[in-house]
Amino acid sequence: MELLDLQGSAVPEQSRTHIRIPFELQANVDRLQIRLEYAPKILEDREAALNLLQESYELYILPEQREQAIARADRHLPLKNLITLSLDDPNGYRGACHRHDPVQELFLSRESASPGLMSGELEAGAWIATLSLHCIVTPTCDYRLRIQAAEKEGSA
Amino acid sequence: MTWIACELHTHTLHSDGRQTLRELAEGAVKLGFGAIALTDHNTMSGLDGKEEIEREFGLTIIPGMEWTTFYGHMVTIGMSEFADWRQAGRSDIDRGIAEVHRLGGIAGLAHPFRIGSPACTGCFWEYEVGDWNAVDYIEVWSGTFPSIQTDNRRAFKLWTAKLNEGYRIAAVSGRDWHAQEDTDEPISVTYLEIEDRSGEAEEEAGASGDQEAGTEAEASLREARLIRALGQGRACVTIGPLLTMTLEAGGKTWPVGSAVPAALPGTGGTVPETNEAVRVKLSLDFTVRSGLWSLPGQMFRLKLCSNLGEEVNLDLPFAGNRPVEHEHEHEHEEDASSLWFEREAELPGSDTAAPRIWLRAELWGTVRGAYTRIAFTNAVYFDSEKEGGGSR
Repeated sequence: MELLDLQGSAVPEQSRTHIRIPFELQANVDRLQIRLEYAPKILEDREAALNLLQESYELYILPEQREQAIARADRHLPLKNLITLSLDDPNGYRGACHRHDPVQELFLSRESASPGLMSGELEAGAWIATLSLHCIVTPTCDYRLRIQAAEKEGSA
Repeated sequence: MTWIACELHTHTLHSDGRQTLRELAEGAVKLGFGAIALTDHNTMSGLDGKEEIEREFGLTIIPGMEWTTFYGHMVTIGMSEFADWRQAGRSDIDRGIAEVHRLGGIAGLAHPFRIGSPACTGCFWEYEVGDWNAVDYIEVWSGTFPSIQTDNRRAFKLWTAKLNEGYRIAAVSGRDWHAQEDTDEPISVTYLEIEDRSGEAEEEAGASGDQEAGTEAEASLREARLIRALGQGRACVTIGPLLTMTLEAGGKTWPVGSAVPAALPGTGGTVPETNEAVRVKLSLDFTVRSGLWSLPGQMFRLKLCSNLGEEVNLDLPFAGNRPVEHEHEHEHEEDASSLWFEREAELPGSDTAAPRIWLRAELWGTVRGAYTRIAFTNAVYFDSEKEGGGSR
């Protein structure tokens, strides 16, 4: 049963924000299947990327070392979008998947879960999926989050 | 007391690491570590099954989590449960730290000067800390061969600046270890000092005669002791020999992390002469993690540094992974398997107008062609008279 299919488009101004997506879980769910995908992953425009880096060097690198940093900027390329997912059940945190893969197929059940998520009872009630937009470097970044529930066999 | 070799910043497949906890544990034991903290990004799910791995490898695995936020990365260890990293705004990290403390954990700044977004999202520390007293530690050395890197030098300077302002903050290294990849770069180790096994755990479990319960109680005691040691700054950091320091004052010994009261015990509670000299005992143990590190022969330099600057400089000839005999050195044993020595130094008493408030030792030398810090201790602190003799 599909619980959620949400698509959106993020822009650089949304960097450093969370998108909280509540969904309702019915009783007798055996397994949650979650798919997060976003694209593009990489900022291909080299000039734009170097401009972004140069701006960040103003903030993070000492003035006397900036010139050298700009000359070595390639070590920080390519720049990437990063969106991560974390999950809360009605009682609290159920983990996060902080990794760079732009397509993540995740699952959660009583006995086991994808790395980063915590297995355990799938309690009915108000759950929240949080998308953390750590950094959006491309002009737009399309994301899609799908959550499906499989019911326990033999349950009414 | 025993010094335990620790790696305090690690990741697994549960975040963006490329290793399982078992692979990490195996790699840590091979490198001579006695304890690691698992600090996956924003999750503690990787700790599942840790007791079995601890037993299998004889390694202590301290629970932790790296808050991987938009304005900084914060390593947290020892929490009983999850503290929410998502609520922290740029100016209210103090609330986050308080929550970590409430859950029994301690918190440190991770690689505070690593370049931030977009190259490394949230990696640069941009939080405005309201109360630096709440910060337990700073990861002043991040990565392998950390001491030569500019961002780590900035972190070390931040630590020194905070000590000068009177804060008592520990300093550690963390490899930020993501994968089992060989490196020929020097690896830094944070040594934490804990009490020796005292049989408390056996006593606890003794009533039931349950040996397994005893082993588990022992493991959790050791974990608690390591966390406490870090919180108190009983820590020394090195890419080679273990450098430790104790102070002798008022007939007592003061280890790193402790505070020497202004009114010393044994002096009847009276304020000692301000010009009373402080005796410092420095130890270098070259036998630690034997065979797992090497340094070329050279003249090392030992420094005693405080808020008053570099107070003492001592030269120390070193023949390449073993100390050279020297007339002022006091070699305890001739046995080559026990290469360590001690040295004592006297510091002048400090002026009441400009009192000494902290002191640490540093070992400097040339590594891979760069003259750099090889090891440093955490600080011993000095209470001021105004504080009324401070922490006894």
